[in-house]
Amino acid sequence: MTVEIEFDSYWQDDFLHRMENDGPWGSWELFKLAIEVEKHLVIPDFEGLQAPNHLPNLTPLPHQLETAKQVIENMNGKAILADEVGLGKTIEAGLILKEYMIRGLVKKVLILVPASLVTQWAIELNSKFFIPAVTQRKSYVWEQSDVVVSSIDTAKRNPHRDIIFNQDYDLIIIDEAHKLKNNKTKNYEFVQNLKKKFCLLLTATPIQNRIEEIFNLVSLLKPGHLGSETAFYEKYKRDARSLNDDEHLKELVNKVMIRNRRADTGIEWTKRQVETIPIEFSIPELELYEAITTLRNEGDWIQASSFSVMTLQREACSSREAVFYTLKNMLQKKENPTPAFEEQIQYLIKKVEAVQQNSKAEKALELIQKVNDKVIIFTEYRATQMYLQWFLKQHGISSVPFRGGFKRGKKDWMRELFQKHAQVLIATEAGGEGINLQFCNHIINFDLPWNPMRLEQRIGRIHRLGQEKDVMIYNFAIKNTVEEHILKLLYEKIHLFEKVIGELDDILTKLEFGNIEDHLLDIFGQSSSEGEMRIKMENLSSMIEFAQDMKKGDTHAAAGNS
Amino acid sequence: MQQQEIHNYLLKYFQANDCPIIENKPGYLTVQLTIELDKQLMNRPFYWHYLEKTGGIPNPMSLTFITNKDKAPENIKGEIIHFGSPRLHQIFDSSKKLASYIRLYENHRQFNHQTPLLPWLCLNVKISYQCDRKRDIFKSIGLQLINGKMVEDFHDRLMQVPLTPKIPDYSFTLSPLVRPKSGMTRIENYLKSVIEQDDHTWADDARKRWDQDLRLLEHFYEEVEEEENENYETEKKALQEQYEPKINISFINGGIFYLTEKAI
Repeated sequence: MTVEIEFDSYWQDDFLHRMENDGPWGSWELFKLAIEVEKHLVIPDFEGLQAPNHLPNLTPLPHQLETAKQVIENMNGKAILADEVGLGKTIEAGLILKEYMIRGLVKKVLILVPASLVTQWAIELNSKFFIPAVTQRKSYVWEQSDVVVSSIDTAKRNPHRDIIFNQDYDLIIIDEAHKLKNNKTKNYEFVQNLKKKFCLLLTATPIQNRIEEIFNLVSLLKPGHLGSETAFYEKYKRDARSLNDDEHLKELVNKVMIRNRRADTGIEWTKRQVETIPIEFSIPELELYEAITTLRNEGDWIQASSFSVMTLQREACSSREAVFYTLKNMLQKKENPTPAFEEQIQYLIKKVEAVQQNSKAEKALELIQKVNDKVIIFTEYRATQMYLQWFLKQHGISSVPFRGGFKRGKKDWMRELFQKHAQVLIATEAGGEGINLQFCNHIINFDLPWNPMRLEQRIGRIHRLGQEKDVMIYNFAIKNTVEEHILKLLYEKIHLFEKVIGELDDILTKLEFGNIEDHLLDIFGQSSSEGEMRIKMENLSSMIEFAQDMKKGDTHAAAGNS
Repeated sequence: MQQQEIHNYLLKYFQANDCPIIENKPGYLTVQLTIELDKQLMNRPFYWHYLEKTGGIPNPMSLTFITNKDKAPENIKGEIIHFGSPRLHQIFDSSKKLASYIRLYENHRQFNHQTPLLPWLCLNVKISYQCDRKRDIFKSIGLQLINGKMVEDFHDRLMQVPLTPKIPDYSFTLSPLVRPKSGMTRIENYLKSVIEQDDHTWADDARKRWDQDLRLLEHFYEEVEEEENENYETEKKALQEQYEPKINISFINGGIFYLTEKAI
């Protein structure tokens, strides 16, 4: 037995001192209480989790407890947590952190998260885990507080950087760690230089990304786990697509990564029911839409402006207020507008003024009254948001607005108002960091976002852990407009709405090209005719289908939680 | 710790600290803090500093603890206390701090003749086996400072003995033959021998894990140029901190007890 034994000599010296000076002595009652406590706080086993005993208000799900246990017992406290969105990675990280703190293995903790999540992390750790996490606001916080939450962009800059490197962290948690996939970035270098005794990397996107990115992420966590850089690339091609190709590599990665999937959690997820509601324009609305559409064929004035016809078309499908707001902006921003330009705008404004009703809003009202329950309406436009709030109020329906730009406190306040007092929440931006609204199960997509990921985020606000009812999604689309085309071409064709987030993640990463959002913007923004748009869309959807088929082939071989 | 145990614990803690108990009903407890406990628990040094400077009348706070929401009245305001709540752990720490050292006498009832009381040294310790994991062992050791007799589970035995802080009438204490300092060394050596006989595969396993990760690390940095050696050193140190097996013996509390011959 060669383990070094340390004996706390401070107590002994103090005791002898008191023997000499005849006290002071403590009370027997307190002495007994101290022992009673200590017997409760002693950790009897290396294995198992103590944290749940300390968290009576939190009921972790089986997969979350299992993950925490795995990380501590089999991964030695260094892991990539890569659960699908909505399965509670934060809870898992909190459990692990709490367990280490209870066991006295971790005291000083650094938590690096995107700036928009800093407050939320601190609140969750405090309220759910009773961990006194502090947000970094002043530079002395680094030294004085044991658990600090900060954005990586703040942390990597001086003076913070130097102070951080002087701290002795026991545990480092990094949220959204997939942003560290490139080892040439400053962020990567910063994290690499940190001393990582225990370390958790949280990532929402699956790691079956490019093999290079896997190497970088794993090497950050555990250098050498995948070998040295040269040895690794000798064995695997740098531009290889997926680690599914190599069983051995997959196994290695799974030693440091846990990825729970919705399907594996054993939780009964409620269903999503999607209904597309086609809506007819009224005559003046149709005239406005057509006036905009014909602009495309009328000379080059529109190309000179930064606003596209497509934008105006989409806005016309939402509300006249949205169109008007853009037109006003176009006039104001144009330097030395030609008379023809001004005339054109004025012509459109006249058309806007001619519109007296909003067919979609009326449909929404009808639907809200029929549902007679809480409803979330998503729109892309603030003008529409304001109009809808006014419109609903005219009909005696209370609503609260919600925007991504609201400060944390205001967001929470709006959420509470919605939960307790209002029937409708009208939101312009779901935002990854938005709020959770499980108590509501109806969503109206008043207009559709270009980017399907945004749509997922919208639905994800309510279709998550804690949702007890089936989720109803109503998609509004005006007949014979660009909106209907989008819906047909993209969403219906690939049954996007029925997909859950993780599966979509996988599909998107299988795509051989970059950002799907860029593609959609290109298709809908740059196409000069509907025909071109349709062809490009066909292309995109067949590629997505192809990726889906590929996935079906190897679902069971995919890198899952072992 | 069950909620009822926590309730009783709080009650005993505040009673032991001479805090008046304002209410003690099922599910909740209201206490008036003393000045001393207010300073310890309420974390308002500026208030106390101000008061001492201005000579104002101190107004220590009263606290309500809700130990069982279902039993407590609905409208009551207070801190909800459970095993994980920071307030409870603050009180745990406080009870440890307030009673680290003790000296007590057996309150025997033998008034007919002078009774000798034998000195016992008591140490309550926590032994922690620590690598990237951890477990603890609680030990309570008593050493009689006349004949050197050593006893385990000493605290549990003491619980059966009536004790008092003042030496009872008709009693006299025997002077220790073993000095407390060497008594402590004896207990220390005893604990070490107990530890040595324990199973330490945990430490061997931790060293294996350490070694494994270290080899991976070395391989990773083999071809890397000099300037990045700093990272290598950092990582190496991190591995040591993560895995290196250690055993810590820390004191919870202890003291000197004068007991009759038959007490233990």
